[in-house]
Amino acid sequence: MLEIKDLKAGYGEAMVLNDFSVEISHGQITALMGRNGMGKTTLLKAIMGLIPIKSGRILFNDTPIDNLQTYLISKAGVGYVPQGREVFDDFTVYENLRLAALGSSKQNLALLPKIYDWFPILKERLDQKAGTFSGGQQQILAIARALMTNPKILLLDEPTEGIQPSIVHEIGIQLSRIASETGLTILLVEQNVDMVKTMAEEIIFMENGKLTARCSAADLKNDDALLHRYLTI
Amino acid sequence: MEFWEAKLKNKLPVIITFGSLALIPLFVGDYWISQLNYYLVYGLFALSLSLVWGYGGILCLGQAIFFGIGAYVMAVTTKGMISPILMNSYIGLALAILCSAAFAALLGSFLFAGKGINGAYLAIVTLAIAIVLERLMSNWYLLGGYNGLLDVPPLNLGAFGYDIELWDSLPAFYTLWVIVFSVAIGLTYLVRSDYGILLTSIKTNPDRLAYFGFSILKLKLSVFCLSAAIAGLAGALFVTIDGFASPTLIGFTLSTEVLIWVAIGGKEVLLAAFLGAIATRIAESWLSEIFGDYWILILGITFMVSVVLLPKGLIATPLSHIGKRLSIKID
Amino acid sequence: MMDILIPLIDASSYVLILVLIALGLMIIFGMMGVINMAHGELFMIGAYVMVLTQSAGLPFIVGLILAPLLVGLLGLIIETLLIRHIYLRPLDTILATWGLSIALKQGIVLIFGPEAQSVTSPIDATLIIGDFSYPMYRLIVMGISASLIAGTFWLFLKTDFGLMARAVIARPDTSAALGINTRRLYRWSFVIGTALAGLAGALIAPTISVDPQMGLGYLIPGFLSILVGGAGPLAGVLVGGGAVGGTSSLLTVWISPVAAQIAVFVLAILVIRLRPNGILGGKIEK
Repeated sequence: MLEIKDLKAGYGEAMVLNDFSVEISHGQITALMGRNGMGKTTLLKAIMGLIPIKSGRILFNDTPIDNLQTYLISKAGVGYVPQGREVFDDFTVYENLRLAALGSSKQNLALLPKIYDWFPILKERLDQKAGTFSGGQQQILAIARALMTNPKILLLDEPTEGIQPSIVHEIGIQLSRIASETGLTILLVEQNVDMVKTMAEEIIFMENGKLTARCSAADLKNDDALLHRYLTI
Repeated sequence: MEFWEAKLKNKLPVIITFGSLALIPLFVGDYWISQLNYYLVYGLFALSLSLVWGYGGILCLGQAIFFGIGAYVMAVTTKGMISPILMNSYIGLALAILCSAAFAALLGSFLFAGKGINGAYLAIVTLAIAIVLERLMSNWYLLGGYNGLLDVPPLNLGAFGYDIELWDSLPAFYTLWVIVFSVAIGLTYLVRSDYGILLTSIKTNPDRLAYFGFSILKLKLSVFCLSAAIAGLAGALFVTIDGFASPTLIGFTLSTEVLIWVAIGGKEVLLAAFLGAIATRIAESWLSEIFGDYWILILGITFMVSVVLLPKGLIATPLSHIGKRLSIKID
Repeated sequence: MMDILIPLIDASSYVLILVLIALGLMIIFGMMGVINMAHGELFMIGAYVMVLTQSAGLPFIVGLILAPLLVGLLGLIIETLLIRHIYLRPLDTILATWGLSIALKQGIVLIFGPEAQSVTSPIDATLIIGDFSYPMYRLIVMGISASLIAGTFWLFLKTDFGLMARAVIARPDTSAALGINTRRLYRWSFVIGTALAGLAGALIAPTISVDPQMGLGYLIPGFLSILVGGAGPLAGVLVGGGAVGGTSSLLTVWISPVAAQIAVFVLAILVIRLRPNGILGGKIEK
C-alpha cells in the first residue's frame, strides 16, 4: 500500500534519512520505533511532502506521491496526526472537524456520526475551544480530525507524548478497533512500548535514517532484546 | 608574498575599482568629473546601507534620515548659522557624523531595546520616520523650510585662517576619492574582522550569540550607529558639492533610491553596493534621456525582477563568481 | 457644537477608509506574511478606474463595480507573477512590491500625467438637520465602508472560506496536511485584499484629489494602524485604524496637518515600541 524506496531527505544540507526503504501492507498496523533523532518524524514529514525529498520514491497504491504538494498527498488518502497534536486552539471542536472535511471533501461531513461514536467525548464538547482541552483530549481531537479526511492510511507521530497513561491505553484500543472495523492502515511512530504492544501487528526499527530491523508483535512480546538494542540509550 | 595573501589579495577588488576611478578624470571633461563627485558620494551612502542591511541584517527603509541629518548639520555649520567660529569644514564634517550617529543611537536604543522591533516592522517604522522628518524639514522655516538651505560653501581644506576652498570639481574629486576610498577599505577590513563575524552571527544565530555572552543590543546598535555616521558623512559631503540642502535629502525618495542601488548591486557585498549606486546613476543619466519618463518604470521593474531572480544582486552575483575563480574573497 | 461634530464625522469617515485599506494589508500580511508596499498604488488605481469610467460617461455605480474587479484581477496577476515566487522570503516581498509600486505609479503618470484628476460626486445633495449640514455622498461612503468592513469580518469569521483562511494563518503545514490547498487560499486572500483597496479608492475618489502620489499617504497610516492595533486579530485593525486615523484627522483640524502627522507617527511608534503586540495584544503571526 505504501512503498518507500531509497528515500533521502533532510533539512538543508544534512540528510536525516539515508536510503530508507520500507513497505507497509494494506490493513496492517505498523509501529516505527527508534531513539530520538533517528529520523522518525522526518520520515512522516517527508511522506506528507512537508520537507523536500532529495532522492528516492514514495508510492502510495502504486502511484508516486513524492513530488506532490502536501494537500494533494492528503487528498490521495494519507491522513496525518502531527507530533504535538497541532489542533487549532482558537477553533471549537466542531470547527476543527469541519475544517478537515472542508479540506478533503464536504461529503466527509457524513462521517461525523461515526466519529462521535468512536470518540463520544468530542460530541459532548462540540462547542468547546480546542485550546482548553487537556493533552489527551487534544490528541483524540487530532486523530478524529485526521479521520475526518477519510484516509486510507493514517500516519501518527508519537500520539502518546505527554499524555496520561490511562488515555494512552484508551487511544490504543480505540485505534485498533477503528482499524479492524474500517480496514484502515496505520503507520505509528511511537516510543511508548505499551502503546506499541497494544496496537501494532508489525514493528520496524530505525537507526540513523535507515531501516534496521523488522519483527512481528509476537516476536516483540517474547524478546526484549530488540527493544534494548534499539531503544535504550 | 605572505603579506599579499593575508592582507592585500582580498582587498584587490576594492583597490582596482578605486584605482580605475582615480584615472577617469584624465580622460573626461569637467562635466563628468562633477558627476563623478556625486557618484562617489552616492556610493558612500550605498556603503552605509549595505553595512547595516547586508551585514547587520537591519533593513532600514529610511536610510536617508541620516544622510539628511548630515546634510543639514553640515549646511548649518559651514554657513555659519550656529556661530561664525564654527564655520569650518572639518568641524562641519565632525558635527555631521556625530549628529547622525547620535540620532541613530537614540533611535536604535529606543527601537532595539527590550523585545525590540525587527524585520518588517522595523522597515516600516524607519520609513515612517523618514517621511515625518521630511515633512518636518519642509515646515521648519528657520532651516529654509520647503526651499531648503541655499549657497552651502564647498569643502575648505584650509585651517587657521588659510583657506583652501575646493570650488573646482577636480580637486574636490580627489578629496572625495581619498575619503570614500578610506571608508571603503576600512569597512572591507571591518567586515572581515571578528566584529564582522559577530555581525554575521546576529543574522544567522542570534540566540547562540546571546548564549556566548555577547550583547546583541550593543552589537546591533553599534552597526546601526556606524552606518548612520557614514550616511551622515555622505550627506555632509553631498551639500559641499551640491551647495544645497533640501528636505528631499532626508525623505522618502532618496531612501527609496539608495535601497534600489544597494539591492540591485548586492547588499551583502560592500563593493557591489557601491558599484550599484554608480551603475544606477550612470544608467539613469543615459537612459532617462533615451526613455524619458519610461526610465522610472524600467527602474522599478528592474528592481522588482532583480529581487525575485537575483536576490544577491545584479553586480554581486557575477562578482562572486569571478572572485571564486580567482580565489579572492569578495564578501 | 458643530465645531466638534463636523470634525468628528470627518474623522470617522477617514477612519473607515483607513480601516478598509488596513484590512486588505492585514489579510495579506497576516495570511502570507507578505508586506505589500504596492497596496497604496492599488488603492490609487481603484480611484483612476473611477476617473476612466467617468470620462467614458458611464454611471458611477459601474465604476464602483469595475474598480474592485479590475484591481482584483491586477492582484491576481501580481500574485501569480510576483508574490508566489517570493512569499517564503518575507523581507524580499517588501522590496519587490516596492519596486512594483514605483512601476505602477510611473505607469499611471505615463498614462494620465502627474497632475491631479477630479472625479465628480454622483450625489450633490447635502444633508441638513437644523444647524447641521454635511455632504450626502460622504455619509453614503461611510455607510458603504462600514458595511464592507462588516462584510470582510463576516467572510473571515463566519464562513467556511474564513475558517480555512484562519486555519492557514495559524498552522499552514497542518492545514495542508488536512487537504487544504494553502497556495490557492493565499492567492484568493491576496485578491480579496487588493480588490478591497481598489474599491476603497473608487469609493473616495470624488472626495479627494486623485493623483499618482495618493497611495503613499494611505499606505503608511495603514501599516501603522496594523502595527498599533496588533497584527493578530482582525479586530486589531479596527482599534488601530481608529487610533491612527482618529488622532490624525482630529489633530489636523485642531492644530495643523504637519503637527498632526508628526504627532501621530510619534505616538504610533511609541505604541509599537511599548506594546509590540499592539493595543489589543494578541499573537503576531510571522
